[in-house]
Amino acid sequence: MALKRLNRIVQLSHTVSLTRPLHGSGCGLQLGAATQTEAPMESPRAVFRTSESEPASHGEQHIGQFYTIPPSQVKTIFPHGLPYRFQQQIKTFNEACLMVRKPALELIGYLKKADPAHPSVRYVLYGERGTGKSLSLCHALHHCSLQDWLILHVPDAHLWVKNCKELMASSYHRARFDQPIEASVWLKNFRVTNERFLKEIKTSQKYIWSKREFTDEGRPLGEIVDQGVTRVKNASDAVGVVLKELKAQARPGSYRLVVGVDGVNALWGRTTLRKEDRSLIDPSELTLVHNLRKMMKNDWCGGAVIATVTQTGSVFTPSSAYLPQELLGKEGFDFLDPFLPVLVRAYSEKEFESSYQYYRDRHWIQHHTVDSLKSILCVSLAPPAGHTEEGKKELLFLSNRNPAALERLCAFL
Amino acid sequence: MSKMAASSGRVLLKSFVQGCCGCYSVILPSIARNVILQKPAVTVLARLVCTSSTLQRKNIAAAGPEKYTQEFIKKQIEEFNIGKRHLANMMGEDPETFTQEGIDRAIAYLFPSGLFEKRARPVMKHPDEIFPKQRAVQWGEDGRPFHFLFYTGKQSYYSLMHDTFGKFLDIYKYQYGMRAEGLFSQDTKQVNLIGSRWMIKEELEEILVQPISDHDCLRFIQLLERILALPYCSIEEEYIQRFRRALEVQSKKQKIEPLQYDENEVAFSIGEGRRKTATATATVRDNGSGNITVNGVDYLLYFPVLQDREQLMFPFQFLDRLGKHDMECKVTGGGRSAQAGAIRLATARALLSFITENEVESMRQAGLLTPDPRVKERQKPGQEGARRKFTWNKR
Repeated sequence: MALKRLNRIVQLSHTVSLTRPLHGSGCGLQLGAATQTEAPMESPRAVFRTSESEPASHGEQHIGQFYTIPPSQVKTIFPHGLPYRFQQQIKTFNEACLMVRKPALELIGYLKKADPAHPSVRYVLYGERGTGKSLSLCHALHHCSLQDWLILHVPDAHLWVKNCKELMASSYHRARFDQPIEASVWLKNFRVTNERFLKEIKTSQKYIWSKREFTDEGRPLGEIVDQGVTRVKNASDAVGVVLKELKAQARPGSYRLVVGVDGVNALWGRTTLRKEDRSLIDPSELTLVHNLRKMMKNDWCGGAVIATVTQTGSVFTPSSAYLPQELLGKEGFDFLDPFLPVLVRAYSEKEFESSYQYYRDRHWIQHHTVDSLKSILCVSLAPPAGHTEEGKKELLFLSNRNPAALERLCAFL
Repeated sequence: MSKMAASSGRVLLKSFVQGCCGCYSVILPSIARNVILQKPAVTVLARLVCTSSTLQRKNIAAAGPEKYTQEFIKKQIEEFNIGKRHLANMMGEDPETFTQEGIDRAIAYLFPSGLFEKRARPVMKHPDEIFPKQRAVQWGEDGRPFHFLFYTGKQSYYSLMHDTFGKFLDIYKYQYGMRAEGLFSQDTKQVNLIGSRWMIKEELEEILVQPISDHDCLRFIQLLERILALPYCSIEEEYIQRFRRALEVQSKKQKIEPLQYDENEVAFSIGEGRRKTATATATVRDNGSGNITVNGVDYLLYFPVLQDREQLMFPFQFLDRLGKHDMECKVTGGGRSAQAGAIRLATARALLSFITENEVESMRQAGLLTPDPRVKERQKPGQEGARRKFTWNKR
């Protein structure tokens, strides 16, 4: 293990050639000075890791490389934000490694240049299934969090429009419906992410929850969140209040707010929920959806809205649809218009190579035999020379450089 | 006394009558009783009675295979020739130069059959090919058999063995003669055995017109091999080659289309394939990077299942050309697995134009070029599916 680390340092600090400069002069690994004379064993392979863990300092030269998010940040920033399969990968590999890719870099570049005085710009990430929209969103949110922005992350808006066990009529508005469980869960995670801000931001008006409960003006927002978490009945209204307050108080001088919504097309699509008389519920009749829609408007300043449109998890959409026009529908498109579309594509050659090297490094892909793909995970004592290339070509073909397809191919049986 | 005579006469008549087959008349001696006292002659009443054939069924199996007489075969040959001329007339061909292939084509056209078993389809061939060869009578009018080995039971087989061993002795004598003259040498012309195989038992039976056992066939082949072991076996090469059959080179059967070039000077080739009810046409282009489009859609989207994509990958992977070609295919019909199989066959056929003959042969042996003959089996009446029977009810 130590030898491997040594090799990695050597790799990182030894300049192979001018065309492919190695990065990360900072030694994240504290293991003495590297021996410059020792030629790196893995020099024919491309470097696939970088020690830059600040998304702000990621540049074009980092494209295709993996950077690690420290576990403490993962727990605070992404209590619920990462996709399920990625969470499993973190648990397996014991580290959270994200690949730096062009769409995310583009997004971060826009966020850096955006003027807080102007109305918030809406960015929409779109692409075919499994190309990496959710993880690009997470990359951008990581950057925002390290820049001390307030993160409002809805990990999957589709969860709010389908499979709701308890649906109750809203107390605030007669025609709307509440979803207590989803709202309270979201509030809990929101609290974990933004502890600091909840103490600072104060309410601007008095909110009455019931005959005996109310929240005064000027109280910290944390109280509202606690109210929503403890009194589950009022959770959806608490969410609405939080959103309203944050939007109202997001000014150029104060905090900067980023709203990240995964699957924003759920807000304007159809639901699978029915009322008691078996008629379908429109999304606008759900409190959570209604309040979130208000956030998506660009009538506030000092922040940004990043959204993804995805077919996975959406109801009543054909699987071949991936363009924003198709997935949002006319209503959603008009609402979000004008927005900045960011296309997320499948891996390029370099990114694929990098991902493959990462799996090899993590011993997820071991030795290869020529014939079947399933024997990729079997360990043989001596790796046959020349067969690694063929296995890689097989993976390339079968996944067609799609990140999710590659991940599923390499998964355990 | 007369009564006795009458009754015995009755018994005799009955026994005589029972001996005959078919309809026979029963003689009723009813009136005879009255008449017997006056006249000794019996006047009878005859009544025609037919009995059912089950009572006197012939034991067909015991008679053996049908024997065709020489005249019958000759008549069949004449009919065949006349029929051939008529057929040529019908099809508008010249009767003089009408070959067997012409007959086959004509019959296939006039009597189209969808039966899978080729031997069950209508066929018109020379009677010699249809009627099994039969041995002529083996003995003369005096009952003496013609052949000296007749009483061995398998006369043609033993005579063949006898002749073959005679050849063996000839070669041996020749060799002895060469040794005596001092011209003996080990390196003589050997019989060429490449590309041919020994005859099988069925073919030997056809030649001998006599059933033989596996053991007999084996002994015969062993004798021939013994002859081949001698240095001077090329003397009797002609005789030995009579018992060898040529093996067809399978790969020559593949029709390889030549490469075509499109306007950008890029080589491409088209192949077609079928599987179950799916048909696919694949265009494989050279100088590509592994992009595959199926019906205008990327293959990852068209075949979400890994198994189908593995099927697509197989021809390229086998030839080690994974990232080197681009492909566009159109496929219709069938289900997802059938479409994948059809595309695989079409791809393999298209790739034939790009590769060497040895690779063609290895592809054929790998099974990439064989169309899969399995189709959905038809449902039979009285059953729920092709094999599944209805639920068995006790009552």
